[in-house]
Amino acid sequence: MAHEELALKLKNQIIKYLNFTDLTPADIDTDVELFGPESPMELDSIDAIELSVLLEREYELKITDSKQGKKVMSSVASMADFIVANGKS
Amino acid sequence: MQHRVFITGIGIISALGDGKDQTRQALVAGNSGIKKAELLASKYRDDFPFGEIPFTSEVLKDRANIADEKGISRTEILATIAVNQAIADAKLSADHVSNFGTAFISGSTVGGMSQTENMYYDASDEISASEFLSSYTLGEHTKNIMRRLKMKGVSSTFNTACSSSANAIMYGAKLIKSGRCDRAIVGGADALAKYTVNGFNSLQILSDELCRPFDQNRKGLNLGEGAAYLILESEEIVGDKKIYGEVTGYGNANDAYHASSISDDAIGIIKSISGALKSANLDESDIDYINAHGTGTINNDIAEETGMNKVFSKVPPFQSTKTYTGHTLASSGAIEAVICLVAMANNEIYASLNCSDPIDSYDIKPIERYQDNFSMKHILSNSFGFGGNCSSLIFSKV
Amino acid sequence: MFIQDMSCISAQSTYDDSLFEKGARFFDADKMVAAEPDYTNLIKSSQLRRMSKLMRMSVATAVPLINKYPDVSGVIIASSNGSVDRSLRFLSQIIEYDEGTLTPTDFVQSTANCIAGGLALIGGIRGYNTTHVNQGLSFESALLDALMQFNEHDQHELLVGGGEEISQGYYNIERKRGMYKDESINTKNLLSSNTKGTLLGEGVTMFMMSVDKNNKSIAKINDVDMIAHVNDEDLANKCLNFLKKNKLNPIDIDCLLLGRSGDSRTDIFYDHLAEKLFPKQSQYVFKHLTGDYCSVSAFATWLVAKLLSGVSLPPACIWSQGENRKPKNVLIYNHSEGLQHGFVLMSGV
Repeated sequence: MAHEELALKLKNQIIKYLNFTDLTPADIDTDVELFGPESPMELDSIDAIELSVLLEREYELKITDSKQGKKVMSSVASMADFIVANGKS
Repeated sequence: MQHRVFITGIGIISALGDGKDQTRQALVAGNSGIKKAELLASKYRDDFPFGEIPFTSEVLKDRANIADEKGISRTEILATIAVNQAIADAKLSADHVSNFGTAFISGSTVGGMSQTENMYYDASDEISASEFLSSYTLGEHTKNIMRRLKMKGVSSTFNTACSSSANAIMYGAKLIKSGRCDRAIVGGADALAKYTVNGFNSLQILSDELCRPFDQNRKGLNLGEGAAYLILESEEIVGDKKIYGEVTGYGNANDAYHASSISDDAIGIIKSISGALKSANLDESDIDYINAHGTGTINNDIAEETGMNKVFSKVPPFQSTKTYTGHTLASSGAIEAVICLVAMANNEIYASLNCSDPIDSYDIKPIERYQDNFSMKHILSNSFGFGGNCSSLIFSKV
Repeated sequence: MFIQDMSCISAQSTYDDSLFEKGARFFDADKMVAAEPDYTNLIKSSQLRRMSKLMRMSVATAVPLINKYPDVSGVIIASSNGSVDRSLRFLSQIIEYDEGTLTPTDFVQSTANCIAGGLALIGGIRGYNTTHVNQGLSFESALLDALMQFNEHDQHELLVGGGEEISQGYYNIERKRGMYKDESINTKNLLSSNTKGTLLGEGVTMFMMSVDKNNKSIAKINDVDMIAHVNDEDLANKCLNFLKKNKLNPIDIDCLLLGRSGDSRTDIFYDHLAEKLFPKQSQYVFKHLTGDYCSVSAFATWLVAKLLSGVSLPPACIWSQGENRKPKNVLIYNHSEGLQHGFVLMSGV
């Protein structure tokens, strides 16, 4: 699956898991920083737990290390890369 | 005019046993009721120790004298057993119970959601309905118990998470103190449920070993189930009945810090303990024993020690008895009230269990060994819940 | 205790009070969904997305009151079901993922005391905090809690509120229990439908209660009482004793607000009580505006407070016109399933 399709799929899943009922995938920039007060998405530690559950449930990928988790989940692009690198797309 | 509030009856069922005698026996012997669960219908049954009552709901229904009733949740069955015991213990007649001046105040966090699978299917669009259809709401057990006992008076059901039954006791005491009621049956119940096991597991605060409240190496809590109720009666009607003690003080405060953890400063804890002392007109030095909330989670136990250290110039003997019963959620306040009253009546305190390396932040540690000839005049019991709810009760010898 | 300020979200335009100029709106429905305000300026979007409907309605009604009364001593909430949608979502996760890795957010938010806890957090309110989940008497139990709290402690203001949210799952359960109309209905005809069942509603009403009266006080709550599992006669006796305790006779009540729900099986309690004790007084009703839900007497209290403060109720609220009296003492009587009966006695200031 091309990264673009995966990125779209991820955006829809992020919207569902994080309850962004007023957003569409078009509103989420693939490369933008997801976490922190500077980010347009403003995700926090509770969202990090939700995203790690998303990765486990939808892609069978477990994040074991919180540093690794921060890097993997920093953007939609990095999440897509992680999924592809682990052969799970 | 304020009326004094006496406790004339107690009823309890937990992993320690059925009734106050079995409960006391286990406490005196230092025998915990927490072990591998046999009945819990959950994938995690073998992963964590639980304070499970080792009888099926069918067997327990029989004990509750409601064998013929269908669709009664396990929570309600446990509540019914404990309520019946308390009524018998206080020697209340049917007329006393059904009198308009008798209130029923209970607490529960899971209610009929203990029938987790049934609720899922009953909530679906499919037409069929299980026998548990009416059992789910938290107040259902309150309403049904009142119906069975022909109680018509004031009622409430509390859900303030793990402080629910402590608040139920407080509310009943206030009803009597203010003269609105003469008598109140107060307490709470929660059954083990897939719902709560999964909820606490998702928060990663269950321990896969026996819980170690106030121990440096504690890993989390063990869930338990149970029910306990007290009969509170006003001094005007108590006559020459046996009295376990008096509800002399209570405090309720909110930590207002986080939905599922207590602040490091223990502000809510300090406020609820101080509020209880103030309402009892007691000084901190008057407290002889503290039954702590002490769940064994990393957060609760250090916060609770912080709070106790701030309030007490010398922290009195303290412990968590959740090492015996597990964390029985809504019913913990009432179960621990019963344990306090049994201890006070027998002038004894129990071994704490599982604390080999006490938290070293303060120079205090939980009670180590069983002691008899330990006379207590005033006991403090703490219960803290999610949502920042902090409640403290003071029981005094009469 | 006195109502100093209040705020209400319901199926009507109550948040901005335009119900009283525009009149009640009626529609065809099987549920009466709340007319929610625009939350844009009320709640940050990063918080809003996490909130259940009950939580966001509670924040929208309570936080403006807390902001006006920052020294409020405590929070008492009545909600029989809490964020029931979150509970059912967590439940679904458990079943659908066979107890696999689950997200904690739904669990933490599903607890009924999440509202009282959340408001305490937002307002930094460290005092008394309780949540009543007592089915049809949840709000009455909460009012009694507040009355006793004021009586015993040195407190001046308490935030007291009640509400429920609709969840499809909860609706399915209650529908299977036979609580709702089998047929589609226009809400205007709910109370005269003469068939079994009612309509499920939702909403939140919050009050800033004060122990002291002042020139901002809207109405007074004199007393609250409840009774369960009784027949007409015991109910009437209870009502009489309740009034007597407050040094009143039935004739001293100027009008009634009744919780008629359109359920032909149990509306009869309202008929009998009114005939027996209050044959001459006007009767007002409200559930065709709001639907029925466990803590709906919070809405009823709001409506009577409006009446007592001189607001004319929508003509649709008149059930029967009795003697023309300026309302000074008003009695609310509401029951749930003909099993749990609550009384709230209010008066003007």
